[in-house]
Amino acid sequence: MGYHFDFSDLWGYREVFFKGIWLTLFLTAVGCSLGIAVGIGGAASRQYGPKWLRVIVGAYVEAIRNTPFLVQLFFIFFGLPAMGVKLGELQAAILTMVVNLGAYSTEIIRAGLASTHKGQVEAAESLAMSGPQIFRHVILVPALRRIWPALSSQCVIVMLGSAVCSQISAEELTFAANFVASRNFRNFEVYLVSTVIYLALAIGLRYLFRVIGRYVLKMSWE
Amino acid sequence: MALVHIKDLRKSYGTNEVLKGVSLEVQQGSVVAVIGRSGSGKSTMLRTINGLEVFQAGSIEVDGTHIAGFSKAALRELRLKVGMVFQQFNLFPHLSAGENVMLAPVVAKKMPREEAREIAKAMLAKVGLAEKFDALPENLSGGQQQRVAIARALAMSPKVLLCDEITSALDPELVNEVLAVVRNLATEGMTLLMVTHEMRFAREVGDHLVFMHQGRIHEEGVPAQVFDNPKTPELAQFVGAVNA
Amino acid sequence: MSDISTWDIFRNLLLAARWTIVLTLTAFIGGGIVGLIVLFARTSGNKALVLLTKGFIELFQGTPLLMQMFLMFFGVALFGLDVPAWLAAGLALTLWSAAFLAEIWRGCVESIPKGQWEASASLALNYMEQMRHVVLPQAVRIAIPPTVGFSVQIVKGTAVASIIGFVELTKVGTMLTNATFKPFLVYSGVALMFFLLCWPLSLWARYLEGKIHGSRSH
Repeated sequence: MGYHFDFSDLWGYREVFFKGIWLTLFLTAVGCSLGIAVGIGGAASRQYGPKWLRVIVGAYVEAIRNTPFLVQLFFIFFGLPAMGVKLGELQAAILTMVVNLGAYSTEIIRAGLASTHKGQVEAAESLAMSGPQIFRHVILVPALRRIWPALSSQCVIVMLGSAVCSQISAEELTFAANFVASRNFRNFEVYLVSTVIYLALAIGLRYLFRVIGRYVLKMSWE
Repeated sequence: MALVHIKDLRKSYGTNEVLKGVSLEVQQGSVVAVIGRSGSGKSTMLRTINGLEVFQAGSIEVDGTHIAGFSKAALRELRLKVGMVFQQFNLFPHLSAGENVMLAPVVAKKMPREEAREIAKAMLAKVGLAEKFDALPENLSGGQQQRVAIARALAMSPKVLLCDEITSALDPELVNEVLAVVRNLATEGMTLLMVTHEMRFAREVGDHLVFMHQGRIHEEGVPAQVFDNPKTPELAQFVGAVNA
Repeated sequence: MSDISTWDIFRNLLLAARWTIVLTLTAFIGGGIVGLIVLFARTSGNKALVLLTKGFIELFQGTPLLMQMFLMFFGVALFGLDVPAWLAAGLALTLWSAAFLAEIWRGCVESIPKGQWEASASLALNYMEQMRHVVLPQAVRIAIPPTVGFSVQIVKGTAVASIIGFVELTKVGTMLTNATFKPFLVYSGVALMFFLLCWPLSLWARYLEGKIHGSRSH
């Protein structure tokens, strides 16, 4: 191979790449939506829940944040079957992403909840709103707005982390790259192109979050 | 000879012109008080004199030297002659009071540490805080911090001292200790240019009063006359509002 | 085959943890040095340098660590050199850490109030003197908690090195699973080892963070 770069071959494999990109996006979309949902539940539990719940969620958060995503993936895909829970690659990948993002977003969203202005809650209580109503209508959206950039960054991290799901044969982008590289032996070119694709996906995901922030959360378009 | 000579100074932030042709002379040894509403441009004018703000037209001459160009070397030269005390004190929190005062003489003037230490002790004594040499800013009251800030500026032996609303951030009962220090400096002959809201102080200690309005010098003169006989409705309104 | 006891598993994982620690320290120290260079370039004001470092940071923050390791592995090999896994992993992790550390530290420098810059400028200090005597002493203090916090990310990042063949905790875990057919036990052990390495650092970072915010009185 020497210094002679050859990218021409790769276009012939575009179907493989497209399939990989599609699956990465699918994993990210499902993983992030469910992960954020878990995060909202976890944050609310830690902020407003009874002590025993706070401890359990706290333990979950600490366990996930202090272990690598890859190890969590292996544990879920290889370890759980020994306990009778057998999962397919995609299911395991999504579950790991949800569990992983759930822990990080619990902390991120909790910071948002904790920074809620007391006056807001007092005003809502004075209007005879119940706790869950106050949470849903007064607290949640402003809290999400405050932490939206941090949450967006974390989701990008999760998307980039999905690359290691190739190790359990989930056929996402890295798996596609490995496949192509094993066929044409142009390792550097294949991985270079894949890296650029990931970069584009990361930029796109960040932009998508800004759009959601603008239209769903009514944030200003900075 | 005027120590500070400002001529037709113009400054804009983008399309917003905040100084619309300001001319002012500050005589050596005099105390000039600058008053006016917020947004009148008074702090901006002050900050152009030590180069914290750039200006687009006009000229500023300090101690015979024109401020021309804003090269780092030129600004450094200027700041060796012009001292500044800020509304928010801006003491360096990781250094003690004495170290705050010593820092610039050692670093910018390359003074030997022992000599700088002596000067620092003298300056702190001058502002009445000799015993606080080793105290950290967080352990000092607002009034004490501001006095240290004054000592810090004085340690550089400036020709003129700029004071940007130096009592505005202080609790009322701490204002007097700072004004007492400034009064002493005035008596000793320091050239002072002060943006202030303390009307009584301006009247008693000031030699020259400048009232700024919408980016221009609207009225100026001897403080007592300007306060008692405002010539323009804007100043009358300002004085009335302040006295109310 | 299955006469490998739980104790054997534990012992092997413990030995493997050494390599995790070595790779972490290499990346932390190397990344710190490169990160400082990137920081000074990023804040220098020189348009070309700023653009270059912005690109570097965007690249290493916006692509998977695994890809970066692959590129080091196959990229360096293009020069005809034999690339051992530890070198590719070490290089990738170092540059990756540098990008993140540079941004963390830049945030700390930028959080120093403007008044500090103005006061020191008014005292006729130049840029280097301002940085050395006034800004950096304060910035370093507030940079310590997030830097310790990031070290946790580096420890976790070493797991990815197993994919390109570097023998550390995760790789040994995989090897043990293949030998013992006890994935639940083995990967629990691997997770536990990582937890024991990371959790104290996380707690320490949180403690330091509390100290900084407790003592800020202005």
